[in-house]
Amino acid sequence: MNEKNGNILTKVERYYQEYGLRARELKDQGQKVIAYLCSLVPVEIITAAGCMPFRIRGDVHEPITKGDTNLETIACPFMRSCFDVSLKGRYDFSDGLIIPHACDSMARTYSTWRYSLGLPYSHFINVPHTLSASSMEFFIAELNTFRKSLGRFAEKEISDDDLTKAIDLYNENRNKAKALYEFRKQDPPLVSGAELAKILIVGMSLPVTESNELFDEVLQELTQRKEAPCTKAPRILIDGACVDNIDFIKLIEDSGANVVADSLCIGTRDYWPQTDIGGNPMKALAHRYLDRINCPRTYREKAGDTFQEDAESRFGDIGSLSKEFKVDGVILYVYKYCDPFGFEVPARKAYLDSIKMPVLYLEDEYSTGTIGRLRTRIQAFLEMIGS
Amino acid sequence: MAEEEKKEVRKKRRTATKAAASIGPMVKESIGGTIRAKQEGKKLAYTFIVCLYDEILSVMDIVPVWTENYAGVCGAKRDAERFLERAESLGFSRSLCTYALCGLGFDQWREKLGEMPPDAPWGGQARPDMMLSSGQILCDPRNKWYQAAQQFMPDVPIYDVGLPYPLYEDDIEVADVQDYYIKHITEELRGLVTFLEKQTGKKMDYDRLSEFVDLGERTWNMIWETYELRRAVPTPMGTGDAMNTMVPMVFMMGTQQCYDFYLALNKELQDKIARKEGVVEDEKYRLLWGGGLPSWFALTDFNYFNSKGAVFPVETTYRMIEPIYRLNIPDTNDPIERLAWRWFGYWTYWYDKAKKRPGSEPDVERLIQYIEDYQIDGVVMHEAFSCRTWHLGLIWQLNQLKKIYRPIPVLILGKDGEKTKGKRELPSLILESDIIDISSYSEVDTRNRIDAFIETLEQTKKNKV
Amino acid sequence: MTQYFAGIDIGSTMTKVVIMDSGIISSIIGPTGPEQRRLANKVMEKALHEVNIPFREITYVVATGYGRINVPFADKQITEISCHAKGVAHFFPEAKTIIDIGGQDCKGIRIDNGKPVDFVMNDKCAAGTGRFLEIIADALGIKIEEMGEIGLEGNHPAKISNICTVFAEQEVVARLAEGVSLHNLVAGILESLANRVSRMVNRLHVAEEVVVTGGGAKNVGLVKALSDKLSYTVAVPPEPLLTGAVGAALLGKDIADKTLKDGVSLETKERSLKEIKIF
Repeated sequence: MNEKNGNILTKVERYYQEYGLRARELKDQGQKVIAYLCSLVPVEIITAAGCMPFRIRGDVHEPITKGDTNLETIACPFMRSCFDVSLKGRYDFSDGLIIPHACDSMARTYSTWRYSLGLPYSHFINVPHTLSASSMEFFIAELNTFRKSLGRFAEKEISDDDLTKAIDLYNENRNKAKALYEFRKQDPPLVSGAELAKILIVGMSLPVTESNELFDEVLQELTQRKEAPCTKAPRILIDGACVDNIDFIKLIEDSGANVVADSLCIGTRDYWPQTDIGGNPMKALAHRYLDRINCPRTYREKAGDTFQEDAESRFGDIGSLSKEFKVDGVILYVYKYCDPFGFEVPARKAYLDSIKMPVLYLEDEYSTGTIGRLRTRIQAFLEMIGS
Repeated sequence: MAEEEKKEVRKKRRTATKAAASIGPMVKESIGGTIRAKQEGKKLAYTFIVCLYDEILSVMDIVPVWTENYAGVCGAKRDAERFLERAESLGFSRSLCTYALCGLGFDQWREKLGEMPPDAPWGGQARPDMMLSSGQILCDPRNKWYQAAQQFMPDVPIYDVGLPYPLYEDDIEVADVQDYYIKHITEELRGLVTFLEKQTGKKMDYDRLSEFVDLGERTWNMIWETYELRRAVPTPMGTGDAMNTMVPMVFMMGTQQCYDFYLALNKELQDKIARKEGVVEDEKYRLLWGGGLPSWFALTDFNYFNSKGAVFPVETTYRMIEPIYRLNIPDTNDPIERLAWRWFGYWTYWYDKAKKRPGSEPDVERLIQYIEDYQIDGVVMHEAFSCRTWHLGLIWQLNQLKKIYRPIPVLILGKDGEKTKGKRELPSLILESDIIDISSYSEVDTRNRIDAFIETLEQTKKNKV
Repeated sequence: MTQYFAGIDIGSTMTKVVIMDSGIISSIIGPTGPEQRRLANKVMEKALHEVNIPFREITYVVATGYGRINVPFADKQITEISCHAKGVAHFFPEAKTIIDIGGQDCKGIRIDNGKPVDFVMNDKCAAGTGRFLEIIADALGIKIEEMGEIGLEGNHPAKISNICTVFAEQEVVARLAEGVSLHNLVAGILESLANRVSRMVNRLHVAEEVVVTGGGAKNVGLVKALSDKLSYTVAVPPEPLLTGAVGAALLGKDIADKTLKDGVSLETKERSLKEIKIF
């Protein structure tokens, strides 16, 4: 094995375990780091401002303690974990915090985050929920408010040209990420689900140029891979929100399956949609983040007359992924207290039934404490689809 | 008497005002009315309270079915469990909004049977002709609930109205963003009108709408003036009543019936004040209900507070109005624009004030204003587990309030044994259960907490310098 | 030559072993306790001893249950979902829904032709499990084995409002002091448990025949309460604690048959039951 390439996965491992390492280094060198939650934040704008976007992650191994003194427990456990580790100083290299209107758990805790962390800069992006022409226009104006606000803080006026350049870099990033998925198509896949998740997660913690370099090196490494790291086993797609710790993915793979596809916020939902080039950059960004990203929090008007037609329009991308990656079963993984996904569980299940795709629905906390319970359910599901 | 023969005797809830007492029958009539209206061939719309388009629906002769309210009724009658379980059996998590779970369970059952579920409370919830969702207004369930219901009612169309308001930011003034917010809200409302015209085959009568919006604005002022009467000592009306009297405000805004209701309440309160008749004879503690929807099945808890001499002259919950003359609504003849400004003005009402006090936030600023205006001794919050919208941030609000607002003069014992004058924050209490799901509620536990809180209030009073 | 198959089901409370040829020839039920590994050995030894068969003559061993990963001599580990499905179908070929009420968990399984097609589990809290009954029996000063019969005699089951086991225990003691009869209290408790279980099971599309397994199935009062709540007649296997182990053994036979058919060799572990040192 090429020694240089052998190091890239070691590098990935390091950045995954010591998440935020690079951001801290850059901060020490004078870079402004802007932390954010969720795939709905236009990182292009942050990059165009000359700042480094850094995606906040939770930690399933860290019991939530400090966070609970200032925030109710009846909220998304992922968000609570992010809040808890942030309070504990894990991301204290951050200069700013951006939270989008993704869901109630985020929108309703913005003040709490702001005051508890006391960062020099914060901003809430009021992403609309509907896809009308008026919504799109509103969103563009809202993004321009963000642009001005961030520009003031970064002391840099963000030009359309700056945005265009950033868009190009991120489109490149997403192309490379998508290319990584090609290695999942083989049976067994040439890259395991846990491995790829680490790579994609790490990608969100680096400046986009470094992320692009990292993906390039990983692609090179994988291209040279002759042997799959896993054996043939049922091929699983995970559908859910932010699964930013690999423990769950590893559990599925250790139980005798290969995770070959996903519809996750650290996976295809975030990395696959591209931004249009050639026109007004802010308009293109608004379009990507509101329409191209397929997240349940965005209301999509009913397509067709029947439920079936509507389901196809809302969840068809899962069906396409299932075909493209020859998926045997879907695990629908929803956090407790998650409204956007929670309300869609019956509809998603009905859609998967209609395409004869077996589905296991799991409702979970955000902690490794539930591994034992999950293991039995996952194994039972694999036994069911294996026969 | 053997336990098994004893019937469950629940204490009847007492209200301080006749106006509040009239609400039960009013709601029952309203629900029955929707069923009759359906039989008469009128168009029914599932919708949410505090939606901004009450007047629009009235003018278009569309009968609203307030789905949250129906769930509340089931909860208050302690008959929500079977609908919650049904929703669970369909795959919905119990951690979701229990209004929605109740509604979804009810609707799917009604659709399956082709008629109302057996013994449906107050006749049941009528099948709608359309469902009006709300993107951005207040909460995720308003965006997802009806879409989930559409799985069982695919022939019922949905219109999702986006009605945003900006959050409070340090570096942004409301004036900086209001133009594009108002533009968007106005266009969304126009889109709604177009949708409703299509559904009904009728055109909107904008003159009539102007009349309703006009009356709505006057009603806002009337409600504000009326509620402000509760500043009196002793207070003539408490939050327990207000949980009833909010109904016309959120069911029939813009109608003469609504205006008349608050006019009558106004008179009733003035009479009581003249006679120095308070909610309780011996008013000991004045409390602010600082946040959280009430437990609809446990409104008698307010009577329990009363029995200890504690009253609630003011609450933030369901006080969905501010005086119109302070909302800076520009001169315009377009009723849709007036609605948009009313909405935007209401949600940003406390922003400018909050900017003037270091560390303050609009919600906290509002608490401070009420504490001062209504001479409040303590703050109570309620955490309902299934509602993230109104119950996230209450702990933070109390913490922030404690940090920036310490109005009670006390003597503090220093290290050297010397007593110095200091200021302390108001005592506060957080109750926990849910809006509908009674299994989350422990009467014993709740009453214990209330008792302990009363003792704290008593101590604070004693130690006041 | 006769082939023998062994199934071992290590539950949180009880460990069960069956040895089968064409039918059950040996079965042992014993309390699990904290040292599952050593016990697994012992229970297997006992079962073998009953029918005088040396361990090396067992064709295939399948382990199931919550402790299945602690059985080093098992050739394969299969979840209790699949094993219960197989075991119940053996006794009730027409079964479509299984409700297993164990010591510390309960599950619902929908099956078609002996194969699970959907399942729900509650392994998070005591309410809805045998533990709930244990705690209440303790509080009432009665034996858990007597609860079923006592409950059947309660004509006016008391309404227990608390779903949490700890609070239910408090409530029960308070009601007893108030003068509620023991029969009605127990009936009320069983009803409360049946409610919890059916609430979970209703997430599946319950269809007849419904079969109850596990310790809960031996409680006649509970079975009746469940039947009433679900509005279906509920069947109970001859020995409700053994269905998991039986299913495990039968699945072992399936695996052996399949390898024979495919012409591949059957991979097994070393046939040794010597004590494992726990480090």
